[in-house]
Amino acid sequence: MRNLCGAALVALIIAGCSQPQEGANDAGDDSAEGANTASATENTGDAQTMEATQSNNADEASDEKGPVRPSTDPFPSTYEPYPSDTVVITGATVLTATGEEIENGSVVIEGGKISAVGAAGDVTEPEGATFIDASGKWVTPGVIDIHSHLGNYPSPSTQSTSDGNEATSPNTAQVWTEHSVWPQDAGFTRALAGGVTAMQILPGSANLFGGRSVILKNVPSRTVQGMKFPDAPYGMKMACGENPKRVYGQQGGPATRMGNFAGYRAAWIEAAAYRDKWDKYWTDYEEWAVDKKDDDEKPEAPARDLKLETLAGALRGDIRVNMHCYRGDEMVQVLDMAKEFGYKVSAFHHAIEAYKVADYLAENGVCAAMWADWWGFKLEAFDAINENAALVHEQENSCAIIHSDSDVGIQILNQEAAKAMSAGRRIGIDITPKDAIAWITANPAKSMGILDQTGTLEAGKAADIVVWSSNPFSIYTQAEQVYIDGALLYDRNDPARSPRMDFELGQRDNKFTGGAGQ
Amino acid sequence: MSMRKISLLITGAVALASGAVASAQTTAIMDGRVITVSGDVIEGGDVIISNGRITQVGADLSAPSGATVIDATGKVVTPGIIAPYSTIGLEEIGLDAEANDASPAREIGFPLGAALDAIDAYNPSSILIPINRAGGVTRALSTPEAGDSIFGGQAALIDLSGDVDSVMQPRVAQVAMLGFSGAARAGDTRMGAWAFIREYFDEARSYASNPNDYVRRSRDPRFSLSDLKALGPVVSGAQTVIISANSANDIRNVIRLKNRYRLKVVIVGGSEAWRVAEDLRNADIPVILDPLFNLPAQFEDLDATFANAGRLHDAGVTIGLYNPQGFAAHNLRTLTQQAGNAVANGLSYEGAMAALTLGPATMLGVDAQLGSIEAGKIADVVVWDGDPLEVTTQPEAVFINGVAQSLENRQTMLRDRYRDLSRGDLPHAYRGATK
Repeated sequence: MRNLCGAALVALIIAGCSQPQEGANDAGDDSAEGANTASATENTGDAQTMEATQSNNADEASDEKGPVRPSTDPFPSTYEPYPSDTVVITGATVLTATGEEIENGSVVIEGGKISAVGAAGDVTEPEGATFIDASGKWVTPGVIDIHSHLGNYPSPSTQSTSDGNEATSPNTAQVWTEHSVWPQDAGFTRALAGGVTAMQILPGSANLFGGRSVILKNVPSRTVQGMKFPDAPYGMKMACGENPKRVYGQQGGPATRMGNFAGYRAAWIEAAAYRDKWDKYWTDYEEWAVDKKDDDEKPEAPARDLKLETLAGALRGDIRVNMHCYRGDEMVQVLDMAKEFGYKVSAFHHAIEAYKVADYLAENGVCAAMWADWWGFKLEAFDAINENAALVHEQENSCAIIHSDSDVGIQILNQEAAKAMSAGRRIGIDITPKDAIAWITANPAKSMGILDQTGTLEAGKAADIVVWSSNPFSIYTQAEQVYIDGALLYDRNDPARSPRMDFELGQRDNKFTGGAGQ
Repeated sequence: MSMRKISLLITGAVALASGAVASAQTTAIMDGRVITVSGDVIEGGDVIISNGRITQVGADLSAPSGATVIDATGKVVTPGIIAPYSTIGLEEIGLDAEANDASPAREIGFPLGAALDAIDAYNPSSILIPINRAGGVTRALSTPEAGDSIFGGQAALIDLSGDVDSVMQPRVAQVAMLGFSGAARAGDTRMGAWAFIREYFDEARSYASNPNDYVRRSRDPRFSLSDLKALGPVVSGAQTVIISANSANDIRNVIRLKNRYRLKVVIVGGSEAWRVAEDLRNADIPVILDPLFNLPAQFEDLDATFANAGRLHDAGVTIGLYNPQGFAAHNLRTLTQQAGNAVANGLSYEGAMAALTLGPATMLGVDAQLGSIEAGKIADVVVWDGDPLEVTTQPEAVFINGVAQSLENRQTMLRDRYRDLSRGDLPHAYRGATK
């Protein structure tokens, strides 16, 4: 069997992989073993972890500039758009992802932004623009994957590249997955050839709290910072159900679903106290500053704790909660827990049973990120139905998302959306491409907090655009051109616009051909 | 005429109406686009099924008296999809040991490999069967996966009727792991895997040549007699061995192995098979591959490309498809999607249809009975509501051994139960509970 450990399914099973030689079906068990091994050699225990993640706040103290405020962006994005032309894409069927399908439409790119979208006759064409005849082709916003492990479970998949799961403690909210992302993962280039312009990279699902996610532009860079989506909020990964049980059941727990919830709630209680401690410090500091009291009465900043800082950020609403959760009953319990502690779940990921609780999800304004038809690799994935996304979509105020969690699936998200759309239509739900395209563009952008910048074809937004050879809901259709911030970064017909990662250089047979390393 | 005209829009009714009837029934599928695979596409074609066999194929045929007539106008008629490498019937849930018999657990020292026989575990009541059948899959190789041995055991060819007698042919093929998968079971080196397999084949030959003498000799206890016995048909060339290999180099070695032991070989994996396509054709080795694989996932996959299927087909290599993404059992129904992607990346449409049907039948040695729409063949036939390679297409009728199959399954029942989320007069647990 071909080894897929770390590459695809393993991420959703446990997303850890000590033995990459194993087939996908073995991967889950092996990942659990991998976690054991890692734990035995690396687990520092909660107390030590706390110590290790606390830093000396004295370094950050600054009397002149006011109270200590830990940086919320210590690894800032250095992404800059590549040069772009003024381009008019004309004659295409345009899916705006705002619910419109425009026949013979035009999309105008100026300064890296979309300056106009509309029927060909209605759009002002800037002087000196390059015209791209896209007759017969379709144009959509760039595809966005809300759930990817590119970079933290990269190709090649070996023990040395398995960086997705800090499976050393059930709560590793202190880790930031951007520190695991290898920007040389060839998977980024394949995703680009599938029309993907942005994605959220998440830590794995071994832990109750897996750590921070990072949102990337799919533009190759020497550094992760060079890929980071500017001004995108952080996300945090949490996991329901089987995985934490499986990984920690034999090593201190949680061993049960009730143990999972006890673990979440204990952490939220601690996080709320941490948040309140900092809030009090800032309030006290302001009062102190007004009265200009003596230095020795100056309030002392609390000790920083990276784990609690992330959790407190989630409670404040600054960090979006991405909850891996298969079962509907567990999702509704999570919604109650979110109310108990005053935070919001942005999306349930791998929401196999979302259709059983689609009304609850809509009422609470929570997105469901789903596969079209993956199922059955574990018991909590046993009740999948093909109509899941369509039934979620059917609710008023719904937010259905098709995600991949796979370095192959991310290349064909258009096909996955097509499957889910088609399944819905067969039971009489009126869904057409103009609606379903939002499942892989606008809706993930909304959940990830970047809809103001991308995710639809609207004037003023980033020119993140895919020109498809035909209807993207057909199996035979391929992304022909992919623009990110107006820069043409992939062109199926131009090898010079087809990235190759460092790892691939000199490895390939000299007869090898294909776009984006395909 | 007592013909019953049945609307394909109510596929459940088709299935229920005819599913109970034994194989003595006659069915006439009329006026469809018939993709025969072995011959031309017949526009407005008719397929007559009787007593489990395809009896007539052509245009302008007359439906026999008493036949159940299916109006396939605007529909596409194909042979049933054959999955040549799957764990169907051997696992319900991969991660639950209680519901997974597909392979021995790893690293527990379980001693047997080649002796394992899929029919000892094959469960025709698996809920995976009706779910994949609804996707047009009618036959599959139920294939054990290797544990600590490089041999997985013996695979059975089954039909997806779910009937108790649905094992068409046991022990169709042996399974062996070479390449990186083999190395992982042989001291983490390919040298180990190759030494191991040669050693086993030599011992199996020795045992087969004189079993009575062999058992009296002193021998290395590593060699289980039941494994050696099971390998007899492999080394005699009577039974196909499906060998996992990916890199061009590993595949060249498989060709040498085949020649040395005069084996019948099929390769599974084959991510770099396109690089040695000519050699494979000359050696008459078919390849079971995943066309949706284009990443350097391992150092044996550096030249993986979506163009693999097309290049192999163009070189004259017989190909079949599998879905290795942990869905070697659950999503055989996506083989059509994989085939469609192969077409988008250079495989001819005809080549894609063959890779789903006649190719697998050929490599499993049942092409005289299955894999195409021809008079005399077993009537595994699917009527699709459009191009079967499009993901927006679904089967409207599926016949196995000439019997119309139910397209209902656990997933459609869950769907129907939760279509209406309102509280109702009774809980959801009472809805659709009669089946």
